[in-house]
Amino acid sequence: MKNRLKVLRAERDWTQAQLADALDVSRQTINAIETGKFDPSLPLAFRAARLFALRIEEIFHDEDRRNLATEIKSGASV
Amino acid sequence: MNQLQPPQNSYQSRVRVHVIRLFRWSAAWGGTCVLIAFGPRFLWNKALVFTLLTVGLNVCVGIGAIVAHKKYLGELDELQRKVHLNSLAITVGVAMIAGIPYSIMDSYHVIPFHADISHLVVLMSLTYAAFNLYGTWRYR
Repeated sequence: MKNRLKVLRAERDWTQAQLADALDVSRQTINAIETGKFDPSLPLAFRAARLFALRIEEIFHDEDRRNLATEIKSGASV
Repeated sequence: MNQLQPPQNSYQSRVRVHVIRLFRWSAAWGGTCVLIAFGPRFLWNKALVFTLLTVGLNVCVGIGAIVAHKKYLGELDELQRKVHLNSLAITVGVAMIAGIPYSIMDSYHVIPFHADISHLVVLMSLTYAAFNLYGTWRYR
């Protein structure tokens, strides 16, 4: 799963430690999410969405779903 | 720039409290283990009552250490819990896979020494520590 956490954090000039404190997790967790090594749970994704005042899908993107949509489109065109 | 206010009771400070509590319980449990190992011979001349009392104390402190560990795990965030879960799963697996053949080898005198339970405890401790470090490094 891809995400825009790093970009959103940089836009607000927050450090990973500040974001970690705000989301009540460790700095390591923020780093792992930003680098795509770890996918957050739904409650944590909701907390991030509330903090940035965005919808979850504006922060996190499901790559598989995009691929599925492309496959459906290509299948329909055949 | 939108400034974030640091929370009063932050994740780091809460975890630190639980780490200290866990360390104290573990140290106390280690102390009672030393007392059981050496007390009967050097302190109370193998008096059964004192030995049984020390075993009771060891079990009680051990339960306290287990509760402290459980509370510590409950306080961790989801990534840290995942790291610990992986370490615990591998530790249990290693203990099963290594412990049973080790015991059988002792029964059939394949190894020239007695298969002591402490060897298994050391193996489990090292496995848990190694995979915790690996998990921390992997998600650093």
